[in-house]
Amino acid sequence: MHTTRKRNFSATFALLPTWFAAIVVYIGTMVWSIRLSFTDSTLFPSSNYVGFAQYVKLFSSAKWLASLHNVLIFGVLYVGGCLVLGFLLAAALDRKIRFENAFRTIFLYPYAMSFVVTGLIWQWMLNPTLGIQASVRSLGWETFVLDWVVNRNMAIYALVLAGIWQGAGLVMVIALAGMRGIEAEQWKAARIDGIPVWRIYVSIILPQLGPALAAAGMLLAMGVIKTYDIVVAMTNGGPGNSTEVPAKFIMDNLFGRQNLGLATAGATVLVLSVIIAVAPFRYAMYMRNRPKGAA
Amino acid sequence: MARTHPNGPRPTHMTAGRIGLYAFLVIAALFFLLPLYAMIVTSLKTMDEIRLGRIFALPETLDISAWITAWSGACMGTVCVGIRTGFWNSFAITVPSVALSVFIGAVNGYALSLWRPRGASVLFGLLMAGGLIPYQIFLYPMVRAMANIDLYNSLAGIILVHVIFGLPLVTLLFRNYFVSVPEELCKAARVDGAGFWRIFFEIMLPMAVPMIVVVSMLQFTGIWNDFLLGLVFAGRDNLPMTVQLNNIVNTTMGERTYNVNMAATILTAIVPLAIYFLSGRWFVRGIAAGAVKG
Amino acid sequence: MNKKMKLFLAGVALVATLAPVHAEDKPTIEIMSSWTSGGESAALNVIKTEFEKRGGVWKDSSIAGFGAADAAFQNRIVAGDAPGAKQGVIGLAAADFVNQSLMNPIADVAAAGKWADALPKSIYDLISYNGEVYLAPTGAHGESWVFYSKQAFEKAGIAEEPKSWDEFFAGLDKLKAAGIVPVAWGGQPWQQTKVFNMILLSRVGIDGFLKIYVDKDKSEASVEGVKKTLEILGKLRGYVDDGAAGRNWNDATAMVITGKAGVQFMGDWAKGEFTVAGKEAGKDYGCMITPESPGMVYIADSIWFPKTANAETDNAQKLLAEVVMDPAVQLEFSLKKGSVPMRSDVDKSKLDVCARKGLELMTAGNIVPDQAIVLTPQQVGLLDDFVDEYWSSGSQDAVSGAENFFSIFE
Repeated sequence: MHTTRKRNFSATFALLPTWFAAIVVYIGTMVWSIRLSFTDSTLFPSSNYVGFAQYVKLFSSAKWLASLHNVLIFGVLYVGGCLVLGFLLAAALDRKIRFENAFRTIFLYPYAMSFVVTGLIWQWMLNPTLGIQASVRSLGWETFVLDWVVNRNMAIYALVLAGIWQGAGLVMVIALAGMRGIEAEQWKAARIDGIPVWRIYVSIILPQLGPALAAAGMLLAMGVIKTYDIVVAMTNGGPGNSTEVPAKFIMDNLFGRQNLGLATAGATVLVLSVIIAVAPFRYAMYMRNRPKGAA
Repeated sequence: MARTHPNGPRPTHMTAGRIGLYAFLVIAALFFLLPLYAMIVTSLKTMDEIRLGRIFALPETLDISAWITAWSGACMGTVCVGIRTGFWNSFAITVPSVALSVFIGAVNGYALSLWRPRGASVLFGLLMAGGLIPYQIFLYPMVRAMANIDLYNSLAGIILVHVIFGLPLVTLLFRNYFVSVPEELCKAARVDGAGFWRIFFEIMLPMAVPMIVVVSMLQFTGIWNDFLLGLVFAGRDNLPMTVQLNNIVNTTMGERTYNVNMAATILTAIVPLAIYFLSGRWFVRGIAAGAVKG
Repeated sequence: MNKKMKLFLAGVALVATLAPVHAEDKPTIEIMSSWTSGGESAALNVIKTEFEKRGGVWKDSSIAGFGAADAAFQNRIVAGDAPGAKQGVIGLAAADFVNQSLMNPIADVAAAGKWADALPKSIYDLISYNGEVYLAPTGAHGESWVFYSKQAFEKAGIAEEPKSWDEFFAGLDKLKAAGIVPVAWGGQPWQQTKVFNMILLSRVGIDGFLKIYVDKDKSEASVEGVKKTLEILGKLRGYVDDGAAGRNWNDATAMVITGKAGVQFMGDWAKGEFTVAGKEAGKDYGCMITPESPGMVYIADSIWFPKTANAETDNAQKLLAEVVMDPAVQLEFSLKKGSVPMRSDVDKSKLDVCARKGLELMTAGNIVPDQAIVLTPQQVGLLDDFVDEYWSSGSQDAVSGAENFFSIFE
């Protein structure tokens, strides 16, 4: 008993800086912005409380409602797309491939590029008069259509495509790091049993990569909430409100539109809804993992 | 080629499956490379050629002047020295930030997954929630706080900010990596009398090398590419390269030089790209497996 | 001002006084601008050169992009570390800063330099808050321009500049028939709002325009004017190409430069792109004021002077204000930036044909301010939302559109 407490003391001690950051920065900021969301702050913080007025304004804004809807569609398709493509790429690279290093770099490089400019390239490529559509048509296929960026109904998928292009490599390296940690014995055993390779990946490797892929998914989800650069560079929220996203709404109101109250209200709604959506899932995970962690 | 030690059978000849595998990889590679191709050819064209709007066409004549301008001549305000000025600043910000945050993240992940002290899951939940807040919201309160502790507009300040904002990401990745480590390993070491730090440094850290590589890569990229935090917290003397990149690329009413923009973007990305390529050897399987067996 | 706000600002001031004071003999100023592209940079250099010639020390902190520059500037103020000068538009955007005593007036410089005589009255009023001059204007941009490709007009058989909207649309039809994209459209909200304003001015006139934006007048005439504006805007949709959405203005300009498109609605900064491409105003391309427009919408840049709690900087600010308003600097600056000088007493002969047209309208007082000057930043955003929604939804309902328009002032 004595030693357990001593060991746990070390662990608690090691976590102290993180506790400090979490409480002071994360909780502090959250409290600060919740408080401001009930004021009429414009350029700088004010303490003139106006009740739920900012929230009423928020939810009567077509732009905000559109941005919530868009981020949901974008989030599901982007996270799902990155996970599937990333896992497939990792599995393929794990098959004793020539030029693995080159392939891995190719799949990962978009992650290193600033979206300020790569967004522009995607905008060009998906623009019907400049990009892929124009090139394919000039090759003779006159009816070919790829106008995602300028089409109200498709612009969000243009963002998804560019997002997957950027994010799939991230899942790939995380999955690959996980695969490289799997013991050789398991492979030998599976091969001796005559299980086909694809079954090994689906039934044996995939479950073992669960936590790593969950982390990758969570990472991408954090990125989804903060999606900003890619939208600004590719569509700037348009056409219309079709690619408007919450982080852009918040940033616009925070500085450009000098509406601190509305921006903090938006941030509060965003964080609370995410916590509400994620909490049951986290709780289930916690309950499942608990017996294991009884150290 | 022989540096990696993949699992499974060693292919002796090209089967249909192998061909399919390579076809998949090559098609995927084309999808990933198409934008880069467009960027590179654009960077080598003159503006007159770019105005014609044929983005996939090869340049008529190779013109590397855009690259030179981007590196050493492009203007930002009245100073025309290109993006090179921010190069070392970016290093000075990124390297300590990555080292610190990866170390703290590894300790956090290890403590949270294998030791689970009181409040561990509360802390983890807090970090995850914090990771979901759009970080623009942090700017005002953080700026005030940094000014109060006299770290605003300083190298130490921007490093601290990056470490704090990196915590959710690094902690999450390490925690989920260590969760899949066999419990017995830790228990056995404890029975042998090893303490928290000894187990960490002697067993866990060597085992987590692939994950350390991944997390360092991600953190390096994230911090290297950060623009807003660097702009707000670093101060005039420490502005990272991305601020210069923004100054070259971003304009509302000014004319745009796309060839310079493309060159500047690729130049800014060269360091992370090099790291991706060179990190290959750390992906060699066996490092981790050896540690597990030991 | 409420108590908390005072406390906040007191904190700001306290931090400011604690900031290290650089002891320098020469008046030193740090200037934050978002002028980083070629022409802008050259224009800023004109001010810098003169400022240094008069013994000042110039520290450049340029941040491109309005959003980024605003974020950086506002955070510097929050940290109590305001820069000595900031470039920004004149008008309401600066009002909040002035009202919260975050800016230094430059009334004595303005009085000594007789700015009231040198500037059009409307501009002088806009740089004054509570009766004191706070901003030093650098130059104005005309925003009622239609740029057209002479080559495209020739090919389509358009002999002269259309005078009315009917003639204009007839010309667009000819361009279309000739296989040319009639309008090079930049489908970004801020660009679309500028076109909306150009048309609005041509429909309601100068007084009507000011009534709507300054007095927020919702009379029948105003509603009718907005309705007519939306009708023309809606009609333009039929003359743009498929790739218009999200297009940068300079990509649209490139279409006019290469003769792929006939006309572009844009502010006079578009001349910069033509110039870089080696095209000459009046020869390769033409510039006309929007059809039936009695004047010109303009936006004006200026230098703001934040309080820094540093007497040295106060002196540098005064010197900078003097330099900015120097007649020679005003002219040279505008030549580099493609803008129109603020002072009416500069040498017009050096200006190109478009800038001369602009300066004539300016000195005659036939100008109305851009929305960024007369609306709060919040309302500017809502106006962008409104125009963008109308344009990209393809709505034909100008009547209810005109009704909705006025909700941006609520």
